[in-house]
Amino acid sequence: MKFGLGKIKGALKGGPGGAEDRTALEQEAAEQAGAEVKKGMKAEESRTGIKSGMENETSRDKPKRQARRFRLQEERGDGEGKEGDEGKEGEERNGGKTGLVFFPAFDWAISPTHPEREERLLYTRDQIFEEGLMDLPEIAEYKPRLAEYKDVARVHFCVPDVPAQATTPHLISAGSGLVLADALMAGEIKNAFSLARPPGHHSMRVAHGNRGFCNINNEAILVEYLRKKYGIRKIAIVDTDVHHGDGTQEIFYHDPDVLFISFHQDGRTLYPGSGFMDELGGPKALARTINIPLPPATPDEGIHHVLDELVLPILKDFRPELIMNSAGQDNHYTDPLANMRFSARGYAKLNEKLAPDIAVLEGGYAIESALPYVNTGIILAMAGLDYSHVLEPDFTPGMFVQASRDRQVLDEIISTQLENWANRDFLTEEALARYGDFYRHKKSIFYDTDMIQEAQEESVRMCPKCPGYMTIDSTGQHRHRSTKIFGVSVPIYACKECQQEAREEYRSKLHDIRYDYIYLQDKKADRYSSYNVKTGQETLL
Amino acid sequence: MLIGIDVGGTTTDAVLIHDGKVKSSAKVPTEPQNLLKSLLSALDAVSRDVSPEKLKRVVFSTTVITNLIAEGKTDPVALLLIPGPGMNPAGYDFPNRFVLKGAVDYRGREIRDLDEKEILETAARIREEGISRVAVVSKFCQRNPVQELRVRELVEEALPGSKVELGHRVSGKLNFPRRIATTMLSAATKEQYLAFLNEILKALSERNIKAPVYILKADGGTLPLEKSSSLPVETIFSGPAASTMGALALTSEGESSIVADIGGTTTDLALILSGKPLIASKGAKLPPYLTHVRAFAVRSLPVGGDSAVRVVENESRLRIDAGVGGETGIEAEIETGTETGAEEGQKKISVGPDRAGPAYCLGGPETTPTDALRVLGLSEIGDLALAEEAVARVGSGLGKTGKETAELILDMASGLVASAVRDMFLEWEQEPAYRIWEVLQEKKAMPKKVIGVGGGARGLIERVAEKLGAEALIPEHAEVGNAMGAALARPTLTLNLHVDTERKEYSVAEEGGIVRLHTTDIKNINNMRSGEAEALAAKLLRARAESFGISEYAGEAELTGSEVFNMVRNWSTVGRLFDVSMQIPAGLIPEWKRGGKA
Repeated sequence: MKFGLGKIKGALKGGPGGAEDRTALEQEAAEQAGAEVKKGMKAEESRTGIKSGMENETSRDKPKRQARRFRLQEERGDGEGKEGDEGKEGEERNGGKTGLVFFPAFDWAISPTHPEREERLLYTRDQIFEEGLMDLPEIAEYKPRLAEYKDVARVHFCVPDVPAQATTPHLISAGSGLVLADALMAGEIKNAFSLARPPGHHSMRVAHGNRGFCNINNEAILVEYLRKKYGIRKIAIVDTDVHHGDGTQEIFYHDPDVLFISFHQDGRTLYPGSGFMDELGGPKALARTINIPLPPATPDEGIHHVLDELVLPILKDFRPELIMNSAGQDNHYTDPLANMRFSARGYAKLNEKLAPDIAVLEGGYAIESALPYVNTGIILAMAGLDYSHVLEPDFTPGMFVQASRDRQVLDEIISTQLENWANRDFLTEEALARYGDFYRHKKSIFYDTDMIQEAQEESVRMCPKCPGYMTIDSTGQHRHRSTKIFGVSVPIYACKECQQEAREEYRSKLHDIRYDYIYLQDKKADRYSSYNVKTGQETLL
Repeated sequence: MLIGIDVGGTTTDAVLIHDGKVKSSAKVPTEPQNLLKSLLSALDAVSRDVSPEKLKRVVFSTTVITNLIAEGKTDPVALLLIPGPGMNPAGYDFPNRFVLKGAVDYRGREIRDLDEKEILETAARIREEGISRVAVVSKFCQRNPVQELRVRELVEEALPGSKVELGHRVSGKLNFPRRIATTMLSAATKEQYLAFLNEILKALSERNIKAPVYILKADGGTLPLEKSSSLPVETIFSGPAASTMGALALTSEGESSIVADIGGTTTDLALILSGKPLIASKGAKLPPYLTHVRAFAVRSLPVGGDSAVRVVENESRLRIDAGVGGETGIEAEIETGTETGAEEGQKKISVGPDRAGPAYCLGGPETTPTDALRVLGLSEIGDLALAEEAVARVGSGLGKTGKETAELILDMASGLVASAVRDMFLEWEQEPAYRIWEVLQEKKAMPKKVIGVGGGARGLIERVAEKLGAEALIPEHAEVGNAMGAALARPTLTLNLHVDTERKEYSVAEEGGIVRLHTTDIKNINNMRSGEAEALAAKLLRARAESFGISEYAGEAELTGSEVFNMVRNWSTVGRLFDVSMQIPAGLIPEWKRGGKA
């Protein structure tokens, strides 16, 4: 079973989230096609050795801030020349502590019996407080703050406005990450874990309501904040939640500077039903989205195999300035909403190897049997402390064995995605040749929590100079009410022409009465306008 | 008539209060090797002319436990730990520590059995070591002490005559390492503390004093002497608590202020916010130990009237080192570069951290801030000529006149205090929040009043206030404010109730032990509500107040926290967890309020 180049065509047609209505038949057909094209491509690449223009631009446009030393385990301690200097800078920072925000939101729930309720981090609180983790010299506890509306608008088109989607708990959960980002960038801490709820990784660019327990995307808000405030450009997000991080994927789908890697239980068996290997990113960012659909019941062994052979090598190659872990905890063998067999120690070891600069809590609903142990393990691992005594009461090492058939599946995933990664420039070039000035596609998104059906059409300007501005035409249908919006987004590293065109696009829609709200998200200028077509009122953040 | 005595590091202060007025006060030097003698001579100094039956109450604060711990004179304790899963227990670095198998989880479920053979073997080793005091601490013992109790049973059987202290009896708060330290310190100080108490009782009966005697705790509350024997560590840091309570007594009700107790060797800082002394969110630190002892959020820094002032060579840039915790000692530096003599940028002065003896003007060996105060005419203490000589000696190293140097010394000392105040306030503002309302709650502004208490306050406090943009206030009797605080403090009491309706049981953190929930307490346990949990807490608090002989203060109890968590399994509610906290906060006894003192 190989997913290769052929699937990309499907991906471009379907786009992120397009997997929802995929049938098994289509899947199979695509698989076969994939195997063929992949072979062909290999040959071509070795002939031409094509480099895409984009990669060149990235290196030309080097961010002002010195790239952070790449901090994968195997690279630690080796330093020569420039590497060595950066290493020194890293050392200074790394001498520090692990920053921690613990925000259990003990006074907030989606509904009284919902998994995302007050009790969720209660036993985690008990465990980490009883362990005395906050007293450790290796750990610095920070107080959360509210994210600003502008921080949210930098990522989302909130319908009708930011306050409607980002209520106080959401702002605090997102703000927890921002507090830690500031501390990290100020050199107060070496890495950070935002242990806050509610989660966010299912929230997409347009927020009509709550989707997969999420309203606003904490990681995406953090990424855009880091870019705006600190000029960081290349960021890698590794989503270790059992559910596909479809929201984060969608937000950065066309962004060549954000590498999004998600491993999760195969979407054919679990919400949200996406995250297949053919979802590789938009035409200008191919293979900057890497999905790893794992067979149900994959244990520590399998996840670490994928980590060692696929995730870490790609990260090393990408050389991000910052690595984030979207730290869901529902791969745990006791999670009630999923079927994986990961352990607390497996999670701890994963964080040790991945060495994320910032980890952000996502899902995980085995609130008694998993969370207290998993969170303790992650905190200890990030702080460089011994986690070998973190053990669930019913766990014995070796109790879950990887099925050999699944091992084969994993090996196939690894080789396919490694190849896609290696060919990313060629893939991009080929995709660009296929589109004219704009890339467009339609998709539909379902909001399970709020029962909203959204129909979307997005377009991306295939700009030769920058990632290109983007428009989204979206209709959210909730029972008999529908809201139609039009959003224009200017990437932070957009060119002047794209910014200009985007502004004109926004103005041209202001009197289009088919829409309820028009948005201009100008990340380059850090200005966020929204316009209520009925009242003629414009709000600027 | 009320008597308050504060045994401080340098002096022991006593005060006699009658009808809301200070009738007499006394200061005697503290003899660290004989605290009892210091205490009694201060007592005698104020009570000499009073007939013993007129005394209604005697309260003292003492450093006896603090000294025992600081000097390493505590008794050896064998520590039996039942950590269960989590941190590597090798990190619990205490002497005579034994790690046992067994584990209890956060809900109080036994998740790993004890190994009785291992316990007996451990007991045999303890016997070989010749240790007779044992502390047993299990993780989550406050949720279920069954394993601690069983270990005690086995140890007492195997080691007849041994004294066993249990973690859940010492503190029910979450934080295993702090509970280990607190339990160990309790076991290690108990016998010597009892001996000290007996001597006091003997001395009092010799003086025919029959008034009730109380001891001041670190949280500013009083505890009947005989009740304090079970919790000797609660008396650590009662000195700063005494001065804070003194400031509370000497200022208007409901006011916010910074309290600076500037003594000979150290300055203790505390905050009073809207009339309430700020309690540290976690327990007291007693380096190297972190404890569960409830204490005021005090910060102690090694700067005082007798701190040694020296000229030091400076290598590069100078700065006032802010944000230094009292426990580590302070590297005191000042920027002499800019306005105070750029040409001499290579030299600087240091104030503290040590005290070489009394001030030079009082016959001591080195220059001190007290000498600087004398030179500037801000105090009348000591010999002026000696003070001038002392300051000139420092000044010659800097190429400055006496007055300039004196200004510099005071500027430096007050700068250190002011930055510690700022730091302390910042730390309080940055305290973690776990609930939405806590994040939204607006923190109070920095108090605009600095209350100086203690002997070294005069002359320095104005400068500290100036640096903080605040007003300085030295109330009448400030120099014995600490003893007044002891005399006027009322009892405090806390109660943290944890109810688990699925397991149908509750526990009180301060008392230990698990109690079955009965239908006499709660009619419908499955449907218990917050109001009922709060009523149960209030009832338990009244009973607890009675057992401490302070029931007259039970009415002062206030609810400080009440939370309910629905326990949901498979989408249906199987029970509720309640956490209710109540306290009788630190405050003043009604006699003082009635005295009409504003």
